[in-house]
Amino acid sequence: MTVPDVLAEVVKDEVFFDESGGGITVSGGEPLMQAEFVEALLAACRTRRIRTVLDTCGFADSSVIRRVSENVDLFLYDLKLMDCERHRHFTGVKNDLVLRNLKILAERGSAVIVRVPVIPGVNDNSDNLDALSDFLSPLGLQEIDLLPFHRIGSDKYQRLHLSYGMEGVDPPTAGQIEAIAARLRRDGFSVRIGG
Amino acid sequence: MNERVTRLRQATLETKPRLSIERAVLLTEFYRQDKTASVPIRRARALQYLMENKEVYIGRDELIVGERGPAPKAAPTFPELCCHSLDDFEILNWREKISYSVDEQAWQVQKDEVLPYWRGRSMRDLIFAEMTPEWKNAYEAGIFTEFMEQRAPGHTVLGDVTYRKGLLDLKAEIESALSHLDFFNDPEASSKRDELRAMAIAADAVIRLAERHAEKAEELARVETEPGRQAELLKIAEVCRHVPAHVPRDFWEALQAYWFTHLGVVTELNTWDSFCPGRFDQHLYPFYQKGMEEGTLTGDQAQELLECLWIKFNNQPAPPKVGVTAAESGTYTDFANINNGGLKRDGSDGVNDVTYLILDVIDEMRLLQPSSNLQLSKKNPDAFLKRGLEIVRQGWGQPSIFNADMVVEELLRQGKSVEDARCGGTSGCVETGAFGKEAYILTGYFNLPKVLEITLNNGIDPRTGKKIGIETGDARTFSSYEQLFAAFREQLHYVVDVKVRGNNVIERLYADYMPAPFLSLLVDDCIAKGKDYNNGGPRYNTTYIMGVAPATCTDSLAAIKYHVFDRKTLTMDGLLEALAHNFEGHEKLRLLLWNKTPKFGNDDDYADAILMDVFNAFFDEVDGRRNTKGGYYRVNYLSTTCHVYFGSMTGATPDGRRAWEPLSDGISPVQGADRNGPTAVLKSAAKMDHARTGGTLLNQKFTPQLLKGEAGLDRVAQLVRSYFRLGGHHIQFNVVTAATLRAAQADPEKYRDLIVRVAGYSDYFCDLTRALQDEIIARTEHEAFAPAIQETTTV
Repeated sequence: MTVPDVLAEVVKDEVFFDESGGGITVSGGEPLMQAEFVEALLAACRTRRIRTVLDTCGFADSSVIRRVSENVDLFLYDLKLMDCERHRHFTGVKNDLVLRNLKILAERGSAVIVRVPVIPGVNDNSDNLDALSDFLSPLGLQEIDLLPFHRIGSDKYQRLHLSYGMEGVDPPTAGQIEAIAARLRRDGFSVRIGG
Repeated sequence: MNERVTRLRQATLETKPRLSIERAVLLTEFYRQDKTASVPIRRARALQYLMENKEVYIGRDELIVGERGPAPKAAPTFPELCCHSLDDFEILNWREKISYSVDEQAWQVQKDEVLPYWRGRSMRDLIFAEMTPEWKNAYEAGIFTEFMEQRAPGHTVLGDVTYRKGLLDLKAEIESALSHLDFFNDPEASSKRDELRAMAIAADAVIRLAERHAEKAEELARVETEPGRQAELLKIAEVCRHVPAHVPRDFWEALQAYWFTHLGVVTELNTWDSFCPGRFDQHLYPFYQKGMEEGTLTGDQAQELLECLWIKFNNQPAPPKVGVTAAESGTYTDFANINNGGLKRDGSDGVNDVTYLILDVIDEMRLLQPSSNLQLSKKNPDAFLKRGLEIVRQGWGQPSIFNADMVVEELLRQGKSVEDARCGGTSGCVETGAFGKEAYILTGYFNLPKVLEITLNNGIDPRTGKKIGIETGDARTFSSYEQLFAAFREQLHYVVDVKVRGNNVIERLYADYMPAPFLSLLVDDCIAKGKDYNNGGPRYNTTYIMGVAPATCTDSLAAIKYHVFDRKTLTMDGLLEALAHNFEGHEKLRLLLWNKTPKFGNDDDYADAILMDVFNAFFDEVDGRRNTKGGYYRVNYLSTTCHVYFGSMTGATPDGRRAWEPLSDGISPVQGADRNGPTAVLKSAAKMDHARTGGTLLNQKFTPQLLKGEAGLDRVAQLVRSYFRLGGHHIQFNVVTAATLRAAQADPEKYRDLIVRVAGYSDYFCDLTRALQDEIIARTEHEAFAPAIQETTTV
């Protein structure tokens, strides 16, 4: 599949983008695993005046982040854990690059919504929330989406005969999520649940 | 809703439809005595006799008065059009759906009085006697239906005449027209004289009906002990003494004037789509504004009066239908369809305070009748659209949404003036018309997949083995898709010829034997021309044939093109063999056709190009043919419940549909064939050239969660605006219930297109796991409300 192939599919919905102010969201997996293709697609969309959103975990070469930011209208930027070691433990990589790239975007004035998957027992403790707030505040990043852990994927694991690593973890309650949102709002963030 | 309206609403919901023999008895009495030679004058006198002698009903609590029958929900019969046999009565009384109870007296009178006089004299008898064997073969095979075999041509909507002129003013116009007749140079002068005299008599008949209501109200007032009600009855009498003889002076009188006009039309004949006030918000606004300015009307009063009128609409079930007519239009609703919003005569935004008031009424009343719609122009504010969508999301099927700008374009293409087009709208299900100026007669549904079926069988209907088409060659010998399509066009040409030839005869029968002098009074330019509504009197005279199941036809042609000619995965012989056996023993083949073929509704040009070919072929055959009234034939695309009937007459189709199952509805994709989401459906549907139709119907299904909150309304509003920007004519949303979801769980293939809101996203219901499906069913059950109407239809 080529960039023109994808663009041809995208422009089919152009009239709906015009009416709704919508556009395309490039997501994954991690779209920047195919950085070259994504860069070309985003550039093509820009030429066609189609609004673009990039949904990324930020784990990419900083030069790539800089280049794609030219053609991205809004980043949905995952920030899972502030503690470098725990980040490595749960995701397999350290978070220094993720944080550096987010800082780059903030400095370049890109529009960013920080997205925090709220996983009970992993990143919903106050240390992590304090660190998150301390990191984002000076960068002027104000928008946070909290994505409560859900089990909708468990069916799919079952169908694929894979073991589900989150067995036994329940979704956070509405009260828990609200408490986290309230805590972040106190520091001046604009917080949405879901999104 | 205040207490009065609550009681009236409860009564209309609880009262069961029944057949009333009153009109048949009076009409038969009249015809036995009266020997007037002139047909229109005799018809007008018949109306006069009915209006003078029918039971006058004024219910407790009512403010707007008048019933078509002797009481609410008592549906009269029209033996001069369709004289029911005793077997018909049996069916009407006992059938499971859309029944009408028939009492002992009605049975007896039908047997002793009505049948002996009308058998052989009714329009239905005359029509069937006059049709050719070719017509009968096609009709019996379910390739087309005939609208005028039980009901009269109506399909018209009132303009603003009732609010500008009293019936006495119209009588003065008639006098003037009579005095200008030129008996020496105009060979039609004497027939015009008869028609005009008939119109004057019809005006008197309806004025008399109003007077009788005034008398009845005064009589009730004399014995009324409750002073509040007594004052109301005297007010009702005052209103009925003034309208419709004179121009209405206030909001109340405007509503009552409309209602008497409505009763006049639907008592004279059982016109299709009953009758309709059309652009009601436009017509009522001056009365509303005046009342508010003078302090003689409050918003609450206006709402109460409108709600009292709504009850009146709901009190009139459609006249009892039998046979094919019942199958093609199986509903109690009689299709009065209130238009809201749209454009004013000068082309500016037509939304006003009464628009929102009427939307509040629709929201509160939740009644099957009247039906309602938004005429949405790009000039109308989003607030109007979103107010409508708030009602839509409650899931009882109203209002539907029309593209007012496209309606204007359609009417302009047909040659209407721009002002007449802007004052028009849509009626019935989706039919475009110049309100108050046009007779736009729907003559029958037309089964497009059946035409393909006989093409594949060389003119033979495989269901009966009877030859109903022409010989276009053995499909097995076709060497190209183009050859197949050429044969399809030949069959189409032949069947349209048969239908139009029949229509021409039926049009003349109605013109000659069933004039409608009262309706003619109300439609420009019948008085000026001295001609009847059924004889070319209106300014515009359009005849429609309604294409059914373009999607089933398209997908079937696409399957043949793709598998037999392009890919050669199948032979024509193998395909025909499987169809002949209704895919029994050929399930693998059926699944190939069903799952691995380009389908209409997916924004896929392979299939959508075929849709356009089908559209153009049907258009070329029909559009521009001349009717017998100085007007032209046009096409539109709607199916009411006819896609179910046609499906029951059509064998297995090459798209993988099994025999006798329903065809696709309106211009919607085949049930379950659209798999790329709603935007793709809208894109595909918009590829049809709606401007060259007189209306199309598109159904979309959603669960309530999808329209939840302000964000949900925004999204659906944007979807509607997008479709209309692409040139779509109409869209309606069926908000699905838990019952539908359960049905989808049991039979996923039929519900392939059903979209549900899962979490922060939506997905095809059938793609979800059982557990998730169960969860969504539970959620839908929780959030849905129980609609208070007896019947929901998507028409």
